[in-house]
Amino acid sequence: MSQGHPLLKLEPLIWFLFGQGILIGSILLTAWLLVVGILHPLGIIAPEALAYERAHMLASHPIGRLVLFGLLALPVWKGAHHARHFFIDRGHAERDRVIGGLCYVVASLLSVAALVSVIRL
Amino acid sequence: MPDRKASHPQAMAPRVPGRTRTAPPMQPASWRTSTRMKQYSRFGMTGWIYLLASLSAIEMVYALGSGPEAYEQMQRVFAHPLAVLFHAICLFSVGYVLVRFFGLFPKAQPARIGPLKPPPQPVVAAMLYGAWIGITVVLGAILAGGVF
Repeated sequence: MSQGHPLLKLEPLIWFLFGQGILIGSILLTAWLLVVGILHPLGIIAPEALAYERAHMLASHPIGRLVLFGLLALPVWKGAHHARHFFIDRGHAERDRVIGGLCYVVASLLSVAALVSVIRL
Repeated sequence: MPDRKASHPQAMAPRVPGRTRTAPPMQPASWRTSTRMKQYSRFGMTGWIYLLASLSAIEMVYALGSGPEAYEQMQRVFAHPLAVLFHAICLFSVGYVLVRFFGLFPKAQPARIGPLKPPPQPVVAAMLYGAWIGITVVLGAILAGGVF
């Protein structure tokens, strides 16, 4: 990132969130995608496992909320950072101020949406 | 030189301009199709998949907080074959990212962490894979009804 880039001051925070997203977010996302996204819809696990009452009981527990928030919000920062770098790698570095800013605004909005979703439980 | 264009003017630029004059950086014509660029692009594209995967997960949790009807409606959406295919692609992407990251992480360790030396690279890699498999098994068992 060049000197004077508007995102330069936020670089430590962005890298911290990106690092947590790629490690913790990805690890948490694996089980979610496997069970909620594939095994349950295919009927491989019992339908009662993710019935409303049980799912709500698990998700609304304080530990459940914390895990869910990490699962929902952290991968967003990994996604935004790599989406931004995809553009840079494909030769659009001169538009990085706009594209980079947009990526992190989207990540911030999705993080707020994740927080709201977890608080509402 | 044909089929070459100037790279980004600040590519490889030092913090402070040096005394020696250098030629402006030029982009090779083949950079788009080079093996390394394809790898970078594949890794970068997983960012879009992560954003979409997170969005779908947020929608599911939001529906859970909205009541049984909204939750069951979202479960029907998740049961659509295209949604299952999408989640399978997401799972593949997460695996691709973590395998690549776990290959990089041990090599990126500093020589010393304060007074301590980091563990050998194979040990760091084993710890990372152990954490991934362990957390996936425990969280998967909880979600699938095997625990609690």
